[in-house]
Amino acid sequence: MMETLAHFALLLVGAALVNNILLTRFIGLCPFFGVSNAMETSWGMAGAVLFVMTLASTATWVFWNWLLVPLGVGEFLYIPAFILVIASLVQFVEMYLRKAAPSLYRSLGIFLPLITTNCAVLATATEAVKPGFFKMNLAYGFGFGEAVVYTVGVALGFGFALITFAALRERLEVAPVPDVMRGTPMAFITAGLLSLGYVGLSGLFGL
Amino acid sequence: MDFVLVAKAVGALAAIGLIAAGMLSAASRRFTVDVDPRIESVLAALPGANCGACGNPSCFSAAEAMVADTLPVTACTAGGQSVADSVAEALGVEKCAVSSAVSMRHCGGGRAASRSFDYAGVMSCTAALRVAGGDLACPNGCLGFGDCARACPFNAISMDERGLPVIDLDACTGCEVCVSECPRGRLDLLRMGPAEGSVVVRCASHDRPKARKGYCSMCCISCKKCEKACPHDAIHVVDLLAVVDYDKCTGCGVCVDVCPQECIDLSGRTNIWGDPAFLDGRGPKVEGFMPRKADEAGSHD
Repeated sequence: MMETLAHFALLLVGAALVNNILLTRFIGLCPFFGVSNAMETSWGMAGAVLFVMTLASTATWVFWNWLLVPLGVGEFLYIPAFILVIASLVQFVEMYLRKAAPSLYRSLGIFLPLITTNCAVLATATEAVKPGFFKMNLAYGFGFGEAVVYTVGVALGFGFALITFAALRERLEVAPVPDVMRGTPMAFITAGLLSLGYVGLSGLFGL
Repeated sequence: MDFVLVAKAVGALAAIGLIAAGMLSAASRRFTVDVDPRIESVLAALPGANCGACGNPSCFSAAEAMVADTLPVTACTAGGQSVADSVAEALGVEKCAVSSAVSMRHCGGGRAASRSFDYAGVMSCTAALRVAGGDLACPNGCLGFGDCARACPFNAISMDERGLPVIDLDACTGCEVCVSECPRGRLDLLRMGPAEGSVVVRCASHDRPKARKGYCSMCCISCKKCEKACPHDAIHVVDLLAVVDYDKCTGCGVCVDVCPQECIDLSGRTNIWGDPAFLDGRGPKVEGFMPRKADEAGSHD
């Protein structure tokens, strides 16, 4: 029991901090720079990503293990299949939210179509069914529970990095930055420094 | 070629597509939301600046409220009469008149006001006010870092050479964003007044006149000359400060002429030293009105 718990905890921390999707793996950088102007929108984006990623990985895990693997077509078909699954799922959720929870729809509404087939969502969905997919040398698949915990970890790491970055950018807005460096150039430098900090976490708990 | 594999791949994608399509078409029927088509047409009539002056967070929610009849069609302060008319048209109700208001600055200090220390921090009024209450000695005056000018969604406010915000009456829509953004807006530094030509008292301080004069040469000194001179009983010194009653004020400009401090000004005028070219054309034309310091124009600062 303890071992399982420790395994899940390590999985969560590893996904959130050590292998932070934004700052050590550089996936999903478009929203990282796009919506990090203000804390408010980055909170919204973080919430929407957590929501969509968890749903997407759950759905793709089911399709992968019950359809693509038994047919033996997963290795080359995973991208179109996952995009199809994620896109229609997000559409469905959008419709449902609009009907059932209009206030939630209004706060998440603008972010949902944005991250439908966001690279971070696709990468996480892929990794959740086949960890180390991009290394192609792991003959190990996540169980359903592991896939969900891993995805939640990635989404939390995404949100954490995005919100800290937005906080930094808000401070930089009023800081005496030289004119040529204002705005995006300064954001790039900040992102680089932040990324250095995250790279320093590799090796934590032997992950 | 492994045709079995191709068939499997096509079959798998088709299966996923069919499941998704079935789910979506069922959902679109099950979860349809009836959107009132009038919301769209009202939204198209609104300015779309999401300024929040009507009390709604966005033009969309304002449009919803207007359709639901919980918000009057004239509620859009930014749009004024023309928007109110087109909203009324979109909703098929009777048109009604809008009373218009503009933002007015109640401070003439700027560089004429003394500073208690050299501030070199973030160039924002809100930030400056947090450092020992701001560098401006006057507790009610304009700090001059232009938070209002940056906040204005209609670019109606600009900072002039005196370090004071100047409000372009043609561009000002009365949305009150500047009033809420100004850290001293609640102290009446920026206040709403009628859009048609009228006078403004460029001072908001209620300190004793002697103390006031100590930190600003442009302040109201509570001399009551305006009160006595006003032919319409429209200006009174209340709580040591001249206050204009805009219900009675005709904008005749007698008080402007009589004020020894040049503290009373025509609203919307950009230069207190009175180049007539600065009159915005909507202000009242004052016969024989010549500012006393006309010959000193440019020698201030």
